[in-house]
Parts: sequence; C-alpha cells; structure tokens
Amino acid sequence: MNQALIQLLVSGALMGLVYALVAYGFQLTYATSKSINFGQGELVMLSAFFSLTLTNLGLPYYLMIPGGLLFGVVAGLFVERAGVRLALEQKSEGWILMTIILGLFGVSAAENIWGRDDRPFPTPIPTEPMQFFGISITPLEISVALGVFMIMVIIELFKRKTLLGKAFAAVSADRDAAELMGISATRTIMLSYGLSGLVAALAGILVSPITTVGPTMASALVLKAFSVAVVAGLESGFGVVIVGLFLGSLESLTSFYVGSGWREAPGLVLLILALAVRPTGIFGKAVIRKV
Amino acid sequence: MLVVNDLYAGYGMSEVLMGTSLAVKRGTVVALIGPNGAGKTTTMRTISGSIKPTGGEILLDGKPVQGLEPSQIARLGLAHAPEGRKVFGPLSVEDNLLLGAFTRLPRFFGFHAKAAGDLDKIYELFPRLKERRRQASGTLSGGEQQMLAIGRALMAQPKVVLLDEPSMGLAPVIVDEVFDIIRRLKGSGITLLLVEQSAKRALEVADYAYVMERGRIAVEGVPQELQKNERVIAAYLGN
Repeated sequence: MNQALIQLLVSGALMGLVYALVAYGFQLTYATSKSINFGQGELVMLSAFFSLTLTNLGLPYYLMIPGGLLFGVVAGLFVERAGVRLALEQKSEGWILMTIILGLFGVSAAENIWGRDDRPFPTPIPTEPMQFFGISITPLEISVALGVFMIMVIIELFKRKTLLGKAFAAVSADRDAAELMGISATRTIMLSYGLSGLVAALAGILVSPITTVGPTMASALVLKAFSVAVVAGLESGFGVVIVGLFLGSLESLTSFYVGSGWREAPGLVLLILALAVRPTGIFGKAVIRKV
Repeated sequence: MLVVNDLYAGYGMSEVLMGTSLAVKRGTVVALIGPNGAGKTTTMRTISGSIKPTGGEILLDGKPVQGLEPSQIARLGLAHAPEGRKVFGPLSVEDNLLLGAFTRLPRFFGFHAKAAGDLDKIYELFPRLKERRRQASGTLSGGEQQMLAIGRALMAQPKVVLLDEPSMGLAPVIVDEVFDIIRRLKGSGITLLLVEQSAKRALEVADYAYVMERGRIAVEGVPQELQKNERVIAAYLGN
C-alpha cells in the first residue's frame, strides 16, 4: 500500500473513533430504557461551546475538562427529566419528538449565545505531526484516540463488573422485575442519561480542536454516529468501535478519490443498507425468550 | 408481619380488589387461593407496589407502605417472586441472584465476596442452579426459572416473601420439587404469602389460608377446616 492511502485511513479512522464515542452515548441510554437522545449531537456541540467559554475565561485546559464533562452530565440529566421520563412512565414513544425538540432548542440557544460562526478551540496538546513509519500523526490525534478508548473501557468495566452496572442490564431486561429487587428504574435511567451526557461532552472536547466548534457540528456528527449505532447494533460497545473505524476510513477515502462533496455519502448508504438487510445490527443479539 | 386492611385497587376504571383484608404472621406460610380473575395476583402486585391502591392500607412490619414505589417497598424487606417468573433473561443465573440482594450489597465492588456465603446457601437449596450459574437465565427450563425466581427473592433476606403461582406451566414432577422446596423453607421459618391455582397443594403446605372470590376474601381458616368446608370442596377441591 502506498503512504498516501495509509495516511488517509489513519486520519479517517480517527474521526471514526469520535463517531463511535457519540454512538456509544446512544447505547448507554438504550441499555437501560430502550430510548435514545436524538439531540446527542447538540449535546456534543453545547458541551464544546461551554468548554470553549471556560477556556476563554482563562481556565487552564486540564481544569476546563472536568468543567465541560460536568456540564455534559447536567445536560444529560436535564434531557432525561424534561424529555424522556414522563414518556417512559406512560410507555409512550413521546421521547423521540421531545429529544429532537430539545436538540433544536439547543442549536438556537447556541446560535444566540455564541453566534453562528465556527470557532477554533485552543489546546495545549502539540499539533506538530510526528512521523511513524512514514505516516504523520499529531499528538493531538493520539490524545483523541486515547480519550475515546479510556472512557469506553472505564464505562464497560462499570457495566460488567459492578452491581450497579448489572442493575442497568436488569432494568433493560425487565423494568418491573428490577423494581421488585429494590432497583429504582427511574434512578438507573437517570444515571444512564448522565453518563451519556458525559460521553457526549468528552467527544466535544476531544474533537473540537481538530474540527472547530460551531452550531452546525451537531447535525454532521449525529448522523454519522447514528449510522454507526444502527450498523453496529445498539448493544455492542465493541461493535461501535469497529464500525466507527470502518466508516471513518471509508469517508476519508471517498472524499479523496470521489470528491469532498461525497464525504457524507458512505454514512447514509451504510445506514440504509443496515436498515434494509439487518435491522438488529451486525453485532446485535437475537434475544432468546422462553415462555 | 404483613397486614392488608380493606384494600381497593384495579386497572384504570375496572376495580379488581374490593375490600380485601388479610394478615400474614411472622414465620407462617399463608395461602391465597381462588378462581381465575378473583384478584389473587392483583393483591400480590398491589402489596409489592406495582399497582397503586385506591383505598385501604398495607402494613409491613407495622409500617404503612401503600403508595410507595416497588423499589422502596423492596428495600423495607418485602421480596416478590412474580407470576411468570420474570427472571432477567440476558443475565447469568448468578447475576440474577446477586441482583436479588441489590438492596443489601455494595453497589460497586466487593459485592461478590460479601454475597458468597448467601449464594452457597441458595445453591445448596437448588443444586441445579449451581450447575448453570454462568448460563444466561433466559435459556433455563421453566422449572429452573421458577427455582431461580425463588432463589432471587430469598437473596434479599426479606422479612416477607410473596410467591405468585409457582406451579404455573410446570410439569407435575417439577411442581412436586417446587413444593418440597416451599416445605423446606417453611421448616427454616420463612414468612410467606403463597398464591396458587392448585388449591390442594397450597392447603397441604399452608398454616392458614384465604379463599378469594371477586375481589374479596370469601372464606378463611386453617387448612384442616377449609378442607372440610363444603363450599371450598365443591369449588376447588372436588374431583
């Protein structure tokens, strides 16, 4: 393979990891409540803007990160309380519209507070490329990959190895039975929305120095993340990473060889193909039920 | 230990319970029998909080619990093994049992060590669950799922256990096994409210029994009396 091709794959895969992280946010809430926040992209954008404001106020980078993450958690909890809880209690699908509306509201709010322009996001992590076997990669890009893997490993460990994490799965399997065990379904779902907000905020903080921050970043990100989540299935954390890497690389190849206007195409094509061929996702499990 | 006074409840506009009253004393097994649609399962679900009562009171260990969330009532010491088992299908047998003890185990780490002794007790009672402890509980047979549902309820070390239709859909041999277990639990001093279709089996194991008809308690008494009561014989014990 020639160097240019590998270079394209590497930088594409990196964007793919960010898609995977946003898609992982979908999975977290789906895991407890079978609901997702359609405004997840807007949450990424708002958290990025908020973090930028913290930076502009003079907060050093490593203090800004916890601040931005906290904003994400609070915003996630707000989405759950304002948009999702009532609908779930009445077993309605109203959360779909509510989270879309909250997302639109988020975009308007961002345009009014921070303006419509894309802005650079300063970072102390060096952006001079380093050479590895002829591939140039910046420390900033490495930090994105590390950040994505770290948060996903931590959350997966929480879900598999702690009792509270197992309670997530119990609420998902049978909400009423989980309540009988003393597990509060409402609080578990709240927690999952908080975690989902945290993941969204981290995605915003990680990707913004590369892409810039602007009100339009939400829709671009969320569509790709949605394709990744649907193609990988809403259950497999490992799956979103694989599909994310694949989609990112494919996009990068498409925009180089076909033209940059076609950049968005692979995500949409994948989404349509997945819905037509295997709606449970490649990594989705068929649930065995015995009556 | 558990007292239900003049309970009214239902689904939407239709009232199912119309003034149900019963009591379960500490260390006794009480059976609730009656025809389909009499309100037995509704009584259980109202006690554990899944259905909000429209009137009456429920006292658990002297404290009123009507109107609380099911998870709050569970934390006060009530364990409900619901009709249809309701095991967490995708989770392993052991995870199901551990979640049964959710109210008293550490939420993050170290829960496994703390629960080890209790798990051993459950596995001693149900050796088959031990063999299958790593298996997804959705793949168990109906009888095994029933054992798991009982084991999961016991893991909470509850003050009162509600057991709803443990024999439902099971082969007679398996039903015998389940009732053997209930007898063993009775020997160890469990406080149990048992709803059962098979009135005969329920009366064999119970210390006291209530017969429910159309949302009310129609007859009550010790099993020896009920077994002689002509109305009960005609309706539930006839050959």
